Amino acid sequence: MANLNNRARAENTYDAIVVGSGITGGYAAKELTEKGLKTLVLERGRMVRHIEDYPTAQTNPWETKYPRGKLPKAEMDAHYKVQQRTGYAVTEFSQHFFVKDDENPYAETKSFDWIRGHHVGGRSITWGRQTYRHSDLDFEANAKQGVGVDWPIRYADLAPWYDKVERFIGVSGQKEGLSQLPDGVFQPPMEMNCVEKAFKASVEEKLSRRITIGRAAHLTAPTEEQLALGRGKCQHRNLCVRGCPFGAYFSSNAATLVAAERTGNLKIRPNSIVTELIFDPKANKASGVRVLDEQTGETMEFYGGVIFLCASALSSAWILMNSTSRRFPNGFGNESDQVGRNIMDHHLGVGAVGEVPGYEDMYYSGRRPNGIYIPRFRNLGDAASARKDFIRGYGYQGGAGRMGWDRPIAGVGAERKAALSQPGPWMFRLGGFGEILPYADNRITLNKAAKDKYGLPTLTFDVSIRENEKAMRKDMAAAAAEMLEAAGFKKVIAGDQGYSPGLGIHEMGTARMGRDPKTSVLNAHNQMHECRNVYITDGAAMTSASCVNPSLTYMALTARAAAHAVEAKKRGEL
Amino acid sequence: MLNRREAALSFGALWTALVVPAGALAQTTPTLAWTPKALSADQARTLDAVAETIIPATSTPGARAAGVPQFVDRAIGTWCTPADAGALKAGLDQIDADAKAASGASFAALAQAQQQALLARYDGEGKAFWRQLKELVTTGYFTSEPGATIALRYDPVPGDYRGCVPLKEIGRGWATS
Repeated sequence: MANLNNRARAENTYDAIVVGSGITGGYAAKELTEKGLKTLVLERGRMVRHIEDYPTAQTNPWETKYPRGKLPKAEMDAHYKVQQRTGYAVTEFSQHFFVKDDENPYAETKSFDWIRGHHVGGRSITWGRQTYRHSDLDFEANAKQGVGVDWPIRYADLAPWYDKVERFIGVSGQKEGLSQLPDGVFQPPMEMNCVEKAFKASVEEKLSRRITIGRAAHLTAPTEEQLALGRGKCQHRNLCVRGCPFGAYFSSNAATLVAAERTGNLKIRPNSIVTELIFDPKANKASGVRVLDEQTGETMEFYGGVIFLCASALSSAWILMNSTSRRFPNGFGNESDQVGRNIMDHHLGVGAVGEVPGYEDMYYSGRRPNGIYIPRFRNLGDAASARKDFIRGYGYQGGAGRMGWDRPIAGVGAERKAALSQPGPWMFRLGGFGEILPYADNRITLNKAAKDKYGLPTLTFDVSIRENEKAMRKDMAAAAAEMLEAAGFKKVIAGDQGYSPGLGIHEMGTARMGRDPKTSVLNAHNQMHECRNVYITDGAAMTSASCVNPSLTYMALTARAAAHAVEAKKRGEL
Repeated sequence: MLNRREAALSFGALWTALVVPAGALAQTTPTLAWTPKALSADQARTLDAVAETIIPATSTPGARAAGVPQFVDRAIGTWCTPADAGALKAGLDQIDADAKAASGASFAALAQAQQQALLARYDGEGKAFWRQLKELVTTGYFTSEPGATIALRYDPVPGDYRGCVPLKEIGRGWATS
């Protein structure tokens, strides 16, 4: 018996275990396998193979089951009660990449929009692909303002890792030389359309605010390395959420998992819900993870020398909270009581739209999966940009386009048909993405009384935005309208559609990095203060949110942490 | 492989040959070329004529040739809420009843000008069923293969993006954004 057990244990033992296969799990898998570690990736959802598991990628408009691919209301209400709050995410084209809410319950003390997908690749398939670096304006802000805790790193620590990640994933963009939005390693930028070019010229002249093309993780000039992975140039279909059969935007499935697989060191196990980290008190480290096989209901254990939690900010925190032991009665590595706290997102749903006079004889060709970007211009450290009503800042995404055949035109008959067969007026829209501060009482807690269908405890959310964010939103609406008006656009409407935390789908902060184990969960290398062979590199690690899309920073942190783990392992420290 | 431009042109010729000339007068109640799944035979006949009145055949195919009535029938059967489906069916009944009250003939048997006049009245009144019917017909048409590829332009794989192109080079609106 002892022999059999030893053999079973050996078969389930790896150099490294990565929990999750999304944007950070995939990156961890690539880095660890390339450095020679036999790595097990555990993914709670089903397998999604690049290309072959994108069933709607080539669906033409006339091949849909439902009008415009919109699901019937009864199906939305039955299965996508939360996911449909985005208003755009779940359609006939994408529903297989989002969870069914009726099967994945949680409680909302205050409304929280938890938008997610359980499958190999996670949200790297459905992400917005906007890719920006944090700057020292972000890394220094907490310390300077006495907010939360200080980041244990600065821009210089992460810069080479940003370079490395950008080179691998491929980012199209324009260098701007702005200190608040550092330039990166860019492939050629996508083009602005006529109206966007005119908008840029007038806003830069009249308001001195920089307008740039969105920096997006799409290949516009693939490198040899990217071509060798089977990835190709962006075809400008703008059907990204369905999965890209050209591998032109970055996803785990198209890139990191392919690279990891080619090393021969990767094992992916889908349908594997990690329920706990196993603490070994003798070794004073994590020996592995406990897994519930989603299909068989079997419980099993996997062992690894180093463990990367990359399950997403909320799910990684859930695993920590659900992993209690004599050593960690309050959750794994949670003596600081910071696990599950300081939840951040980017607040959005506020901005302005306007109608653009003229340009009737101009149009565009191709569907650009990207827009323009307006880097942060508030509170940059100088007097001119300083605001009295809020700290931190926001950026805008947006752009111009002509209205299509679905615009309202009165009447019936040939004249209306002819009008709709031509493009409509140009419209311009700007939507803000604002920084949310870390508040200790913005938190999730584990609800052991309410179990899901696997008998596992669920989360309860108590997260809200506060006065700083509310004041910022007013400025986000007003400054958007100011720019559209400066550009000479008409019928400008500024507005706030309302926002519940989570809707930015940028959950962060539940196991923050910091310098002091008493007030943070992770150190400067994303290592748990209290358990050195566990690294957390998803959104949980974020000490502050910045106002830029976070995925690039997660990946840079992941690559940096993986290198640290491999060196520490070599030195025998893990 | 045909290039896309040639393919679109040959489609155009095919569809133009198939459609009824735009000015033709409908006088007797036409037989329906398709079998409804959600609607009654009378409702389907009315829908068939309503759809063609909203989007008539011109130099490009109309709603009937694009299969829009079948699209709307399917939407009523599988996509609309029960309340909306009921309102749409009742709305089609009402259109037919109004036609009979005003002209003594079913809507489908009215002359084109009468059909247009009756629907223009609904359009002005802004009834909920009418807004949804018009939207479904419009969506059905412009997302159909003839609507997207002949009335509009459709390019499944554009390749490049060009931001500033004279409209006359494209000619029509893009089917998808």
